[in-house]
Amino acid sequence: MKRALLIVSLTFLAGVAPLPAKKLPAVRKTTAIAQNAVQPKEVSLVRVNVTGQAFDYFRPWQKKAPSSKRALGAVLPNDRVLVTADLVENQNYVELERAESGDKTAARVVVVDYEANLALLEPDDKKFLDGLKPLDLALDTVVGDRLDAWQLESTGALVVTEGLVTTVGVTEYPADVGEFLTYRLSIPLQFRDNSYTVPLVRGDKLAALLLRFDPHSQVMDAIPAPIIAHFLKDAAGPKYEGFPSLGISFFPTRDPQLREYAGETGNAKGVYITAVDPGLPAAKAGLEQGDIVTAINDHAIDENGNYVDALYGKIAMNNLLGAKAFVGDSLTLHIQRAGKPLTLKAKLEHRAADDYVIPPYNHDQPPSYFVLGGLIFQELSREYLKEWGAGWQKDAPQDFVYLDRYQSEIFPEGHRRVVILSQVLPSDETIGYDDDSYLIVTKVNGKEVHSLGDLADAVRTPVNGFDVIETKEDPKQLELDAKQVAADADALQKNYGLPALQRLP
Amino acid sequence: MLRFPFLLCALLFLAAASAQAQPNERIQTSLVRITATDVEPDYRAPWNSGQIERGVGAGFVIDGQRILTNAHVVSNSRFLTVEREGDPNKYPATVQFVAHDCDLATVQVANPGFWKGMKPLEFNGIPELESTVSAYGYPIGGERMSVTTGIVSRIDFNLYTHSAIDSHLAIQISAQINPGNSGGPVLQNGKVVGVAFQGYSGDIAQGVAYMIPTPVIRRFLTDIKDGHYDRYVDLGITYSKLQNPAQRRYLGLTTNDRGILVDTVIDAGPCGKILHDGDVLLAIDGHAIASDAFVEYEGERVQMPEVVERKFKGDKVKLDLLRDHKPMSVEITLGSVWPYFLQGHSYDIRPRYVLYGGLLFQPMSLDLIEAYHISDLRVRHFFDFFVSEQIYLQHPEVIILTNILPDPINSYLNSYRDSIVDEINGQKIGTLQDLARAFAQPAGRFVVKMVGDGPPLVLDAKQVESARERIKQRYNVFSEENLDEQPPAKTSVAAKDHS
Repeated sequence: MKRALLIVSLTFLAGVAPLPAKKLPAVRKTTAIAQNAVQPKEVSLVRVNVTGQAFDYFRPWQKKAPSSKRALGAVLPNDRVLVTADLVENQNYVELERAESGDKTAARVVVVDYEANLALLEPDDKKFLDGLKPLDLALDTVVGDRLDAWQLESTGALVVTEGLVTTVGVTEYPADVGEFLTYRLSIPLQFRDNSYTVPLVRGDKLAALLLRFDPHSQVMDAIPAPIIAHFLKDAAGPKYEGFPSLGISFFPTRDPQLREYAGETGNAKGVYITAVDPGLPAAKAGLEQGDIVTAINDHAIDENGNYVDALYGKIAMNNLLGAKAFVGDSLTLHIQRAGKPLTLKAKLEHRAADDYVIPPYNHDQPPSYFVLGGLIFQELSREYLKEWGAGWQKDAPQDFVYLDRYQSEIFPEGHRRVVILSQVLPSDETIGYDDDSYLIVTKVNGKEVHSLGDLADAVRTPVNGFDVIETKEDPKQLELDAKQVAADADALQKNYGLPALQRLP
Repeated sequence: MLRFPFLLCALLFLAAASAQAQPNERIQTSLVRITATDVEPDYRAPWNSGQIERGVGAGFVIDGQRILTNAHVVSNSRFLTVEREGDPNKYPATVQFVAHDCDLATVQVANPGFWKGMKPLEFNGIPELESTVSAYGYPIGGERMSVTTGIVSRIDFNLYTHSAIDSHLAIQISAQINPGNSGGPVLQNGKVVGVAFQGYSGDIAQGVAYMIPTPVIRRFLTDIKDGHYDRYVDLGITYSKLQNPAQRRYLGLTTNDRGILVDTVIDAGPCGKILHDGDVLLAIDGHAIASDAFVEYEGERVQMPEVVERKFKGDKVKLDLLRDHKPMSVEITLGSVWPYFLQGHSYDIRPRYVLYGGLLFQPMSLDLIEAYHISDLRVRHFFDFFVSEQIYLQHPEVIILTNILPDPINSYLNSYRDSIVDEINGQKIGTLQDLARAFAQPAGRFVVKMVGDGPPLVLDAKQVESARERIKQRYNVFSEENLDEQPPAKTSVAAKDHS
């Protein structure tokens, strides 16, 4: 959504080198309190060790080398352990470890939500968490509250660092899907070997989990308890639904000339709807581009897209979707259309990553691909673009980045993928095609290609013995000898060590 | 004081060297030093005259009492002087012809005293690889003429960075060339084999210098014979090599190793509507095109565009091709492909703009994007794919809201910056002229629709009218629009005489 972001991007704590001691300013309160009243075995934390393997989108048939992460998990009722989703993405093995004894057990991921960056774990050994008091949630944290970040020493002793909540706002989460409530804290967090899932506690209740931390400014963003509560309530149901979305883009109406043009009357302010994604709840409810949304349920929306929250005061209206509403809920949109007030009802749905033309994230599922005589075809996804590294928006092929950014504008009908010819394995069939990479495939053998499945179907019917691949960019056409491709398939597979020549979605 | 003996040694060494270099000794009567005072256009405040800068380059006398130099030595110049070896005078000069697409220019000196004793240099052909050449000029490191020698390292097509879009034959030499060498002659056996013009800065590659070879120079001198410089001509197509056996068979080609594939035909180019995407070019003017896009031409193996390079505006070229397996021939009347121009640098023009309600609208160009460091993804897309996706068909000019001069009437419009104008009050905007005309229509308000999903920008005409003088005065804006590119009048240089 096109709101000015409250928060600049912060780096993850993960992978940040230990802070040199001399750089630390005066620490308000950082004490190892093993000797204090709270004994380690009473601390409701366990260590979580995760070994994961990311998929290699440049070589989609294989995974990257395994890497391990260490984290803390917050112990919740019903023998569940709460961690952040980025800890368990693409995991092969999850293990829980008791801090005080070092006892270990394997665990499984019960629910994971990459958009809210939360995951629930369950130990294989049901008695493993015995003796640990489950944490309740502190839901009413506001600006000015102090939260304690809990970390563990290698001895199992608790390290407590106090931070001050300076802002409660709505920010983008790592999956770049939707915006969620976030606490921002000023906190002199120290480096420990558990860089994921640092719990923040108020009194003896869980108030938030670390989302990201910038060691230079000592500013932390945290996933707040209201988002955690939403996740847990959803996870307790028969099917995890995820956070709902409306499918709109909006723009502030601070400009009186724009307000007048849009036919807004009276004292209502509201936001100008710039785009309504087809097939999503707002569109189904009848919302149109150019409408002004003046209120959602009973909350008046101001010209910046904020409403007045009972707990936080003014905050972005996205919070009405993130923390407060569930899939299946009905949302009342009060709008003005050409000066006339209207009321629309939107039934909320979740928009899954798969529902995008270019999926914004994809974890735990291997990427699909199709190798034809050395030409490698893939479906465009943001995971693929992110293989170009942190600067992917500048470094990845710019027409791909453009498609990703403006996908709802370019493919308003949705329900398709963008198939690309990502690279070429040199072979007898691909002589002369070596430089043809990063091309968008439009047709194969005369048939439009909107998915790898379409492509796989189309290559079954070659044209006069040729597989004819048409691309949007130059050279616009590539041909392969279909018989030769089939005859050489085994040799190609063997030569490049491919476990398979295709993996379809 | 320690520097003196060292200097003495160096001088002795130079003297010895020049005693050996007999063949090139005439250079003092041909080489000139050119000092140019430029006014660099200010795209961020286009109503201003611009930044005044001064630069030094080299040039040399050729037949017809002309001085040949690089276009980039005299680009955007408002005042030129030339000096010659052994003469204390500075002679005012004027640009006669300038070719930004091949970085060459000719300069005239009105004062007959300047030409006394000056001898034109003659041109030779393309020097042999590994043969020795000498470069002359006025590079940094001292005031007087400098000479460096090296060998011919490579002869190949290369980008000419002055325009940033044109590629022509260029010769890489190992002689040191530095700023100030530009426009200077590179000699072999007393004859010009090139004009030094560009190199890499030291942090990219060392000792890589390029000169413009004589075929490019001769083409320029021929082009201007009619009193006007036309640009290089182009076919306006992109093509691929045809080296894949299956693809060759699919296209109906036998294995005689001929033919290249036409990928995209630019509608605005000379081949528009004549060639089709997917055509196979077999020969150009009767020269067979090999599958790697080389042709045999005048006894040498050169890239296919080289054949077109040698031709001029209005010349014809015959193409033999295969379309849907059927052979045919077409004749193309050559010209240039205008949509490419805005992807390159422009010189000697005044930036075009319209200022309305404190909103600055400017047409997209390489210079504009560089001046503002525009990183907006949509603008970058329109720029990068302007030709290849034929965006120019709908937007002959891409009008960008580049800047906003703050005023109460535009307080809330900052987020529209870098947007591309699509429509004003329902009229499509394809040029800056369209935009100026749309704002001149009588209307209560102007609804400016930008490209893409976004809110319209709404301007109340009355409010804009009442703010006009206020904005002009506050921001020192002399003129609210410039719709044509005519360069401002140059100061007359004829009268001044220093000798």
